[in-house]
Amino acid sequence: MTDLATPTPSAAPKVIPVGRTRVIGYITAGLGLFVLLAFGLGSSGNAHSVLTFTPVNTSTNAPWSIGALTVLTRYWNMAAGLIAIAIGVHMIVRRPAKGAMVRFGVAAILFLFALLLWAGRDPGPSQGLHVNLTSILIGSSALAMVLIYGALSGIMCERAGVVNIAIEGQFIGGAFFGSVIASTTNNFLLATLAGAVAGALLGLVLAFLSLRYLSDQIIVGVVLVTMMSSLSSYLNLQVLSPYPNLNTGNLASNIAIPLLYKIPIIGPVFFNQSGFFYFMIVLVSLISFGLFKTRWGLRVRAVGEHPKAAESVGINVIRTRYINVVLGVAIAGVGGVAFMASQGAFQVGYTSGLGYVALAALIFGRWRPSGAVSAGVLFGISAYLALNLQTYNIPISTEILGMFPYLITIAVVAGLVGRVRPPAADGQPYKRD
Amino acid sequence: MRIELRGITKRFGSFTANDRIDLVVEPGEIHCLLGENGAGKSTLMNVIFGQLQPEEGEIVIDGETIKFANSGEAVRRGIGMVHQHFMLVPVFSVAENVVLGFEPTKSFDRLDRKKAADEIRRVSKEYGLEVNPDAVIEELPVGLQQRVEILKALSQDAELLILDEPTAVLTPQEIEALMAIMRSLAKAGKSILFITHKLKEVRAVGDVITVIRQGRVVGSVPPTTSEAELATMMVGRDVKLTVTKEAAAPGDEVLEIRDLVVRDDRGLAVVNGVTLNVRAGEIMALAGVQGNGQTELVEALAGMRRIESGTITVRGRDVTNNKPREMLDEGLGHIPEDRQRNGLVLSMSVADNLVLNTPRRAPFARRGTRNLDAVEQNARQQVKDFDIRTTSTRELVSSLSGGNQQKVIVARELSRPLAFLVASQPTRGLDVGSIEYVHRQIVNQRNEGLGVLIVSSELDEVFALGDRIAVMHEGRITGVVDATTSRETIGLMMAGASSQSAHD
Ligand SMILES: Nc1ncnc2c1ncn2[C@@H]1O[C@H](COP(=O)(O)OP(=O)(O)OP(=O)(O)O)[C@@H](O)[C@H]1O
Ligand SMILES: [Mg+2]
Repeated sequence: MTDLATPTPSAAPKVIPVGRTRVIGYITAGLGLFVLLAFGLGSSGNAHSVLTFTPVNTSTNAPWSIGALTVLTRYWNMAAGLIAIAIGVHMIVRRPAKGAMVRFGVAAILFLFALLLWAGRDPGPSQGLHVNLTSILIGSSALAMVLIYGALSGIMCERAGVVNIAIEGQFIGGAFFGSVIASTTNNFLLATLAGAVAGALLGLVLAFLSLRYLSDQIIVGVVLVTMMSSLSSYLNLQVLSPYPNLNTGNLASNIAIPLLYKIPIIGPVFFNQSGFFYFMIVLVSLISFGLFKTRWGLRVRAVGEHPKAAESVGINVIRTRYINVVLGVAIAGVGGVAFMASQGAFQVGYTSGLGYVALAALIFGRWRPSGAVSAGVLFGISAYLALNLQTYNIPISTEILGMFPYLITIAVVAGLVGRVRPPAADGQPYKRD
Repeated sequence: MRIELRGITKRFGSFTANDRIDLVVEPGEIHCLLGENGAGKSTLMNVIFGQLQPEEGEIVIDGETIKFANSGEAVRRGIGMVHQHFMLVPVFSVAENVVLGFEPTKSFDRLDRKKAADEIRRVSKEYGLEVNPDAVIEELPVGLQQRVEILKALSQDAELLILDEPTAVLTPQEIEALMAIMRSLAKAGKSILFITHKLKEVRAVGDVITVIRQGRVVGSVPPTTSEAELATMMVGRDVKLTVTKEAAAPGDEVLEIRDLVVRDDRGLAVVNGVTLNVRAGEIMALAGVQGNGQTELVEALAGMRRIESGTITVRGRDVTNNKPREMLDEGLGHIPEDRQRNGLVLSMSVADNLVLNTPRRAPFARRGTRNLDAVEQNARQQVKDFDIRTTSTRELVSSLSGGNQQKVIVARELSRPLAFLVASQPTRGLDVGSIEYVHRQIVNQRNEGLGVLIVSSELDEVFALGDRIAVMHEGRITGVVDATTSRETIGLMMAGASSQSAHD
């Protein structure tokens, strides 16, 4: 049995050329060029922007004060543009086998940063407005958090082979019941529980229809979203409007972590947040650990990749899928409560497609919790900026700005098609012989 | 373990795949099952393994009547199975696949990866089935995947081991090794059910041979029965076990490969400067141990893998790095080594699979729409010619037996005018009768001027078909010799000796 070992060819391993990397490289370089021309050279030579780092959040008085930073807009933005161009050109020429999306993400962040400096430049259209970096990060973190909850929900379902495109609807359901319970009991723990239960029930519907009746999971998802948005309008009209005290003042208060929250710039972003934020971090670590380090995770992934093989070693495919879908959708329900608690009350339609952006974050993050975090941050910042750039007097209409997060989403997902692989059995009904 | 099947009947709709089957496997016995493609062997094994529920009959294990609701229960009762179509998760590592369902864990449900890898190293050493526990399944050639599938079954210490065509893609040495394993397991009191289409193996290793035809037991015979008798029992007619072929009359070169370099998924240059030509009207057999670059060479020829450097020419036209579609237009016929991954669309019907390579052409398409009558007519013809056992041409190809799935591919590829044919293990999993037919077809096409490249790790096939034989080792051609060369020489060349030194 000596000559059976696989041969070890002499040539050293080299990078695998991937055509798509080039395309993403071109997009990245193009983004950089735009930054260079529009935000860099588009700012006059003497323009400067002021960055501040004090949270405007009044509930905690900043125990420290860090001065403002004045930068020369033109040169900072030209530098940002050049860096993005360099990243893009590197991708076009060297075509690295890995990390294309991370590089694109860095360029996108540079783009957003340059956009901010450009919007707040002085002399410029919005003189006197400072760019409050810490505030922006805090605002973005609320959106990122919701997106991450949604993406985690998708990960739980799709890793087991069930597509969940109804995250949007599950947000709505969680937010509605969360608001009612929070308003009546004034207890966010109970509200979270209510959101989780609402989610679990919706998950049961999705699981039942797709596992028992082998319905098309995309269609079930669409139906669920439509149903939830209509149902929430109806209940809003019939219940919340006549009894407004069922939907009031549910802003979750922040829990500051002693000492840590005093860290300049990032302290208030990471360590002075509501419980939902911390719970999300716990969930990310738990699911990440669970999926890739434990027996449970190995079995779940086997079910999502090759259910027949899983079945052949005694794993109960259907049960695994039920459990994962119910738990996963419960997470989306909690995400809905978290969103409601960051807005203060339930409103019809206020999730405005965040559930779908979460789905894109899931793909961008390659069906991994850690990836979902990166994607959630990128999409969260761009969504927040789209909402808040309106305060700067920039010559772009708010409608166009509103499209911004979705444009980034489309660019990202288009760049990824064919590159990232969903679980092989994702969305496929499973029938035992 | 003593297992007894009493009157097992399994139906799929109105089709009876197993018809009142009685079978006894004694402890320490190697029981071979022989039968044509579609005879119902895999179905019967899946019934024993709890994957299919029989309509009638009972299974008695050590005197106790049992009923498995699923294969998990069968595994826990001490039954292990090597599936004809591997039950491996492509994106998992070897270790993850082997331990799946029986994972060693540490605290907090954590996988004990080190223990798993150690265990695999131990088992693979013990049985001489070397694989790297960290390799990812989808990057392994089929032969290695087969090793993993066997390891997986062995690692559970099963009392009854079911082996459904484990030797179809193994090399002669691996088959020897597997048979040695089987003998030692039997000696240790384990029972083995062994399915193969290779009569030599049955006679070498079996204690009892049971022949099944059309879902029924034809009879049980001792291993001293001659190959010809076995073949006749199986097929119900006399079978010629070797094709007689006329001398080749080679013409112009149809396929020319020059200094080809191709990388595998890990980026290694596993085809490392291959130069080879095939002429019209000849069969070039490419022999070699699996994993020496044949897979990637064939994928490059089919336009499915990027060529790093070197050229491929078909009838004088440069086709390097053509797309698969363009290669088909150049007249390429391709029988891929992994039929389920690259040869068929499992969720489509037999009829549709039979026109996969020509869906847009007359007569199967007309002014942008499909001509379903022509598709149907073609399917009927092929099913008849190639004896594809299926209840209907509309049947999903996934419900066909392994050998019949293979026949669908062979029928499709051979049924249109070709410039050259590249066939990887073209008779993988076929019964003797079908091998005879397929070999005959390939030889006939050669006689009509087709250039053929056969890739096979099986020397019997290499010698049965090859007019010339090229041997591949570690990404290079170690020599091209004619078909009169001795087996020993070829064997040495497969191990890396040049044709010169092998002759000396
Ligand atoms: N799920 C199914 N639905 C319908 N028919 C099926 C199904 N599974 C198997 N069959 C039919 O049952 C018959 C027996 O198939 P089986 O796979 O047991 O054959 P086999 O003896 O293993 O053949 P081979 O040597 O080609 O592997 C075939 O004709 C096949 O078409
Ligand atoms: Mg079979």
